Amino acid sequence: MPASTTVEALRAAFPDAVVRDLVQSGDQQVVYIDPSRNAEVLDWLRTDPGERFNLLVDVTAVDYGDGRPLEVVYQLWSIPHRRALRVKCELPLSRLAIASVTALWSAANWLEREVYDLFGIEFRGHPDLRRILMPENYAEGHPLRKDFPLRGRFSRAEQTRRALSQDMEQYYMPDEMEGRGAPQLVPADESATSGSGSQGR
Amino acid sequence: MGLSEQPAERLPVASSPPGGVLGAGTPTFLTTRLDFVVNWARRNSLWPMPFGTACCAIEMMAAAASNFDLARFGMERMSFSPRQADVLICAGRVPYKLAPVLRRIWDQMPQPKWAVSMGACASSGGVFDVYSMVQGIDTIIPVDVYVPGCPPRPEGLIYGLMMIQEKIREERLSEHGTLRAEDPAAVARARADAEEVLALSGPFGNSTRQNRVSGPTGSDASDRPDDRIP
Repeated sequence: MPASTTVEALRAAFPDAVVRDLVQSGDQQVVYIDPSRNAEVLDWLRTDPGERFNLLVDVTAVDYGDGRPLEVVYQLWSIPHRRALRVKCELPLSRLAIASVTALWSAANWLEREVYDLFGIEFRGHPDLRRILMPENYAEGHPLRKDFPLRGRFSRAEQTRRALSQDMEQYYMPDEMEGRGAPQLVPADESATSGSGSQGR
Repeated sequence: MGLSEQPAERLPVASSPPGGVLGAGTPTFLTTRLDFVVNWARRNSLWPMPFGTACCAIEMMAAAASNFDLARFGMERMSFSPRQADVLICAGRVPYKLAPVLRRIWDQMPQPKWAVSMGACASSGGVFDVYSMVQGIDTIIPVDVYVPGCPPRPEGLIYGLMMIQEKIREERLSEHGTLRAEDPAAVARARADAEEVLALSGPFGNSTRQNRVSGPTGSDASDRPDDRIP
């Protein structure tokens, strides 16, 4: 299957950032890009009028083990063009850090926290990079790494002791629910129009 | 409509004889043991606190629905507040992150209280012998009845609750002080001490690389010590 128009355009725009591309599962276009330039490439994919990948479906990571690099996976969907694209960045185990894309898609916030929690990849520029699934006081590492022992690093007794020493209140803090710098639920221009509508009512 | 057409003297209230319900002259009191009356009242008005976390909870809901009808046993109301509950039904797997929540709900329930561990995961961790899962809720709270199954059918849960009723039947008010005593020092702490947790959570053999002899680390984790400090 020939490379899709997206990959051709991407190679034309960033000739040295695209590492390789392939097609998986019949029609899933995959592009490997340079991890140091992920933010600008993804920003171009999001805003370029020919691409408009405006929906970030998922951010995840894969550890293939045996010292191979970890892959950060961005699954994109272009609502205007009805096209999917999977962008991958290979990170060597010695330097597990990549730029955050929360500025491009707000959806990346919790997804990057999940990847950080389970794989230990640091997302530079993330506004609130802390654990999201594992407890806050979890100190055994990052469980989805291939070198993580199945039962964890601590004994069951220590795990039980740590579990019960959690401060539950921190999960349900009011400022956690409201959020510092909470995302605006209604965009400013739409809230203005809905405000004028309520005046008519 | 039908009732109002009947003559007043044919209504049962008007025609019942003076005295007890068995007829004239029967006594209007009965004698019994206090233990029996208290236990009879308790075991027939148990309100369950559903702590449903997984597929076992679906079977628990089926047990409460009309085909099996838990209400027959006095469990008319699922009490979603621990303050009004008598039986905690832990239905499903409990991860370590949820362990303090389970313990707090148990601590919030007033005495007398009982706990049912429903299904393999709640009782022993089940197939989830992994880093995130409590290996049996009896390490966290005291458990009265374990219902085996994956998940148990509603009959299984009802049988377990009937065993709770049998257990209540055996209770004596003279033992209430010891049986139902609350230890403030035990609040928010695991029921089992470290040694008992290790004994209870021994491996089943479903994770083959590790066992109690090899210890909690059985991999090349030491190659990346930075993982210890996330």
